[in-house]
Amino acid sequence: MASRPVHFIWMLDCSGSMGVNGKIGELNFAIREAIPEMQQAAQSNPAASLLVRAITFASGASWHVGEPTPVDRFSWEDVHIYGGTDMGAAFKLAAGALQTPPMPQRALPPVLALASDGQPTDDWRAGLRAIDGTPWGKRAVRVAVAIGDDADKSMLKEFLGNPELEPLQAKNPRQLAAAIRWMSTAVVKDASTPKVDDGAKPATPLDVPSMTKGEDDIW
Amino acid sequence: MTGPETTTGPGRRPAAPPGPWALLSGAVKGVAKKYSQDRSVALPVAQGRAVVLAVADGHGSAAHFRSDLGAYWAVEEFTACAAAFAREAARVGADAAGWPALREEARRLPQRVAHLWHERAVYHDTNSPAHGVRAQPAADRTGRVDRPDVPDLAAYGSTLIGAVLTEHTLFCWQLGDGDIVLVDGGGIPHTPLSSGPDMGDETDSLCEPEPWRKMRAHWQPFTGGAPPCVLLSTDGLSKSFADHQGFLDFATGLGERAAGQGVAAVQSQLPDWLARAAKYSGDDTTLVGAIAVPEQTQ
Repeated sequence: MASRPVHFIWMLDCSGSMGVNGKIGELNFAIREAIPEMQQAAQSNPAASLLVRAITFASGASWHVGEPTPVDRFSWEDVHIYGGTDMGAAFKLAAGALQTPPMPQRALPPVLALASDGQPTDDWRAGLRAIDGTPWGKRAVRVAVAIGDDADKSMLKEFLGNPELEPLQAKNPRQLAAAIRWMSTAVVKDASTPKVDDGAKPATPLDVPSMTKGEDDIW
Repeated sequence: MTGPETTTGPGRRPAAPPGPWALLSGAVKGVAKKYSQDRSVALPVAQGRAVVLAVADGHGSAAHFRSDLGAYWAVEEFTACAAAFAREAARVGADAAGWPALREEARRLPQRVAHLWHERAVYHDTNSPAHGVRAQPAADRTGRVDRPDVPDLAAYGSTLIGAVLTEHTLFCWQLGDGDIVLVDGGGIPHTPLSSGPDMGDETDSLCEPEPWRKMRAHWQPFTGGAPPCVLLSTDGLSKSFADHQGFLDFATGLGERAAGQGVAAVQSQLPDWLARAAKYSGDDTTLVGAIAVPEQTQ
């Protein structure tokens, strides 16, 4: 007997604009800080095994953490900026991982967590079609955070694929940390809970965190 | 966090039939769940010459918050329909001339069960709307309502697997996930209604429109005697195994233990086995079965 895997894939924007006002540093910090809580969320459901990976995209896309890593052994190496915003390339990388194989059929729905601060510079729709064309891509739990005002929120909403859902908005480091923490915990808990998806939309979408108000927007 | 517990639910405890089968039944609730949404029945019919088995798995997530009721009705309505069918199957017995009529009746049974389930769900929802009191649809000046107010029955969603077993025939039906396994005399497991591996936790459901159209059905006559072991289980059991072969090995092993140690011994160990499985699947886990009893022990 064995618990079922939940594959969690970060897709992180490392374009040049993420270097403005320290966004990339705050993203690294937020992910590193969220790991212990992510581990706790995973431990709360022994029936699921959380496996984490990460893709970065800028000029092209590559696996930052290519091996599905059990969350209790997951550690964070900082990502760095390197060019454009080739989000479509990241989607295609993720789509390759969502095929069966390599992903087993006996699994819980994977999580695709996207963080971006700008406009894609490649054919992101082709990449999204590639994800939607995979058996697990269609079933994946998708979450997204728009970092700053320049992020393409309509594009992120299209990525989410559910008219009831909105991308999170982070306009300062505290909001980004809250968004990353929510993606790492609430979403993991939801994805790793056995449930039925009979095609109906959930009665209530996941409770999204209320972003802190009254703070200066710096992005 | 609480561990899995044995649950009986409203499903009837298996009786010891005077016929050629001993019945098994076990259920545990999923880890950290308040209560189980599975329901089951294992029932001797026609003085034990036939058996009715059923398991139903209420979907259990927030959108299906009344699915324990849905599963209860699924088992109850299936049992009502299948018990009458089982009596007729037992009467027909080995008379092959009567089988076409049985098969015709078996084809009609899913629609009847789905209709009865739908009636109960609508009745319940009318008295206690799952999503609160709905606004009355507007009527024109003649009082005619354009759009009938059709309730959303997703709150009650449930799967259903059922079987009717006699010494000469097996009929089984399945809507949604879960498993039915026949272990033959050679210890080979057969899954006549398997539709291949499930992705995630998606399933067909009684709460969908015209669910009987998605209900798979199978029948077979036994030329070499009835299979020694017929098992029905909710998906919480098969999803606890690392692969499908592991689940089939469990089914085969259960049949072998029942033959070697007796059904009572297997029945006493069943809650522990299911509890262990529930730890891995995280889901409610329910199994019912009919084990052939050697003639000298009847």
